[in-house]
Amino acid sequence: MFDIKHDSAHRVLLIGRFDAAQTETARELLSTIEESCTLDFAGLDYISSAGLGVLLATQKRLGGAGHGLTLVNLNPHTRDIFRIAGLDMIFTIE
Amino acid sequence: MEKLFNREIAALDDVFGFIDGFIEQFSLDADTAFATRLVVEELFTNLVKHNQTSGERILIRLARDPSCLTIMLKDFDVDPFDASQAEPVDIRAPLDRRRIGHLGIHIVKGLVDTLTYQYTKEERTLCVTAVKNLEAKDVRHQT
Repeated sequence: MFDIKHDSAHRVLLIGRFDAAQTETARELLSTIEESCTLDFAGLDYISSAGLGVLLATQKRLGGAGHGLTLVNLNPHTRDIFRIAGLDMIFTIE
Repeated sequence: MEKLFNREIAALDDVFGFIDGFIEQFSLDADTAFATRLVVEELFTNLVKHNQTSGERILIRLARDPSCLTIMLKDFDVDPFDASQAEPVDIRAPLDRRRIGHLGIHIVKGLVDTLTYQYTKEERTLCVTAVKNLEAKDVRHQT
């Protein structure tokens, strides 16, 4: 199960399992973000490379306009995957 | 434990259900459980994307003994393919030079101890085997 939704104007919640079958769902919401935004991972149990790819594409698009994503409340496993992928240098992770 | 799955990304729900059963049966710790889910998904989706013409299902076999976890995927009626030989991902590249994609196998290599692809030409089958030593609990990473 995966869900992605706005919590406020500049905060998005990711919930459940962000696997390759969920990329379109995520892309649909993330494509509406046009300014810097916080992604809250508190409810996210799992993310695979497919999910990382969607986030990276969003970061690239926002970065081109001087904005970016801040990722918060990553669990230790998710944080480790970002580190292995070198994406801890690409995103602001708190 | 082994099971055949439809060759489609939509099969991932079934794949994860199978993995959950394996995790429960063998009482895998949280780190190993997480690695199992991620490695299986990455290898499975890789096979689905790179061998789209086969009409065969993909076999996933999971095994655990005291010293290691073995994840094996077998693909049938396919052309040769070895994702482990793909060009390494530059994880130090800045945002504007980072490529979208190609992270799956890189992540798998960071989570397991060995990854091998074996293609049998006569049978047109591809076998991908990932082994994670269970004595070393750390998540490994490439330098």
